[in-house]
Amino acid sequence: MNVSIASSRAEGALVEITDVRKSYFSNRVETPVLHGINLHMQRGDFMAVMGQSGSGKSTLMNILGCLDTPTSGTYRLAGVDVEKQSRAELATLRNRTIGFVFQSFNLLKRMTILDNVALPLIYAGVSRKASRDRAQTQLDKVGLGELANRQPNQLSGGQQQRVAIARALVADPPLILADEPTGNLDTRTSNDIMALLNELNRERGQSIILVTHEPDIAAHAKRLVRLKDGLVLYDGPATEGLRQLKTDDSIATIAEAAL
Amino acid sequence: MKLVHVLSEALRAMLANPLRTMLTMLGIIIGIASVVLMLAVGDGIKAFIDKQLSVLGSNLVIVQADSRKAVGARLRTGTVQTITLDDAEAINRLPSVKGAAPMLTTYSQISYGNDNTNTQVQGTTPTSFVIRNLRLAKGIGLSEVDVASATRVAVLGKKVAEQLFYKNDPIGQTIRIDNQSFQVIGVLDNEGQSFDSGDIGEVVMVPISTARVTLVRTATPRSVQYVVVQSKTTEGLNDMVADIKDLMRDRHRIRADDVDDFRVVNFGEFAKTGEAIATGLSIALGFIGAVSLVVGGIGIMNIMLVSVTERTREIGIRMAIGARPSDVLWQFLIEAVAICVVSGIIGVALSAGVASAVSSTGKFEMMIGLKAVVIAVVFSCVVGVFFGFYPARRASKLQPVECLRYE
Repeated sequence: MNVSIASSRAEGALVEITDVRKSYFSNRVETPVLHGINLHMQRGDFMAVMGQSGSGKSTLMNILGCLDTPTSGTYRLAGVDVEKQSRAELATLRNRTIGFVFQSFNLLKRMTILDNVALPLIYAGVSRKASRDRAQTQLDKVGLGELANRQPNQLSGGQQQRVAIARALVADPPLILADEPTGNLDTRTSNDIMALLNELNRERGQSIILVTHEPDIAAHAKRLVRLKDGLVLYDGPATEGLRQLKTDDSIATIAEAAL
Repeated sequence: MKLVHVLSEALRAMLANPLRTMLTMLGIIIGIASVVLMLAVGDGIKAFIDKQLSVLGSNLVIVQADSRKAVGARLRTGTVQTITLDDAEAINRLPSVKGAAPMLTTYSQISYGNDNTNTQVQGTTPTSFVIRNLRLAKGIGLSEVDVASATRVAVLGKKVAEQLFYKNDPIGQTIRIDNQSFQVIGVLDNEGQSFDSGDIGEVVMVPISTARVTLVRTATPRSVQYVVVQSKTTEGLNDMVADIKDLMRDRHRIRADDVDDFRVVNFGEFAKTGEAIATGLSIALGFIGAVSLVVGGIGIMNIMLVSVTERTREIGIRMAIGARPSDVLWQFLIEAVAICVVSGIIGVALSAGVASAVSSTGKFEMMIGLKAVVIAVVFSCVVGVFFGFYPARRASKLQPVECLRYE
């Protein structure tokens, strides 16, 4: 499979998006959402994607996560041309390359925490025993090893998100894709989760893409990408980007007040 | 994905909504139970027929005098005694015949001590024991010597012996048949309906020669009422009937255009009728079972479709973390099959309960064989795959993006 060839080329960019456009069609009416996005990301980077609703943030996120394919343009993830993959190949690519962290945690009900974390390995064809061992190790790392046999609904939101992070990490994917990971959490728990992601990036060199609409959360990233109306508005260091964002917002507030 | 994992997922899904799962399973349970009971009824009837045949003796025909006009009035079949011992001996010599037993029967009062009963007395020869599969519970059967010298000996049917002697040993005791002394030499072991009398347990057998001199008045010293004949093989039965007819017409000097003065009654036909009834019953039960399985299968399809919709988000999550469409397909297909197989097992257990309840009444033996169980399990798998495939395929075709957006 070409995924294994790709992972051997560790020096290449992890994410290469070139002139990606995406349109949705309903009743043959074309609604363009992404108007040509270019984005490159090296391994070990920590990138935040910001944008207001309607900016194409979610669409870009789905394309980045190989959950959806672009209408045109190319997306190379870890050296693999995503748009050339079949549905089954995309599933395998997601399984090996991306660890998802969702806003609503998305743990499977009626399944223990341990089995939830082990699931990506099961789909990768790892034996049940080995999957559980590795899942336990991963749970220990996020500090929830003792809750392995609980069900998701017996855990707090912050704990559930830690479990989701453990699940994202268990198959050791090169990329973590976190979609509003703190959206359902209070400020203190959000900071804990962000601290955990930061630690992963710093100590393990884990590549992370973080989608958020909160500047405080985006501030944890090294790099910021701002989207507006389906185009990249800013791509650069997070600190500079957030300063610009603040200015833009105050201008908008003044403009609003003026009206 | 490993099978163990898929199976445990299926079990988890089934237990998530136990009441719904049970109700879904009900149709399949009833269907499988009907199919298994159908097979059990079929086997039971076959066994019943075989048992009856073993009492009757197989491949038997009876040769008896046909009705005959006597001064213009047609008389009851067998009333006119045109068959003789010589006819019986001639039939016995036919190459296709295994044995022929001449019979003289009557109803007589039988008494022993204070007890008495009225039942059929059959005068016959030792051949009768062989061709009708008669076994002795006690003592000995009739012998050629008994026939040759017209000894006053009797072999009692099981029920007659019980009635007259209760638990005492009848062998060597003297009973009275129509007020004449007979010594009991044996007791039959057989039970069940006989073709030429009532229950074989309720007859008394004596040498044909003794019957003639003591009990049955005959037209001529060599007349018999009928002859029981057994063919050597089942396949040869029809040929043997033709041989007998030719022989009898020849012996009775019947001209080519005259009708027979005898009848050959073929008991193989009765067995065939019984089997036809069994087949008919099996088909009826099988049809009920099939209808129930189809209805049950549709129920499963319905519930699986609901389940796929309910679990859309779960499917999305699974696909996001690496489940291929085929993994999702297998998950739902195995779930449907698991529901069916569990139903099948419950259905077999249910039918086993019904079968043992029916058998315990003692009227009819129902047997559930390994064959029935295997067929039930295979059937339920087929139903599961057939009705589970469409929902499973639908689940596998879902788009992960849309599933994750689904609330």
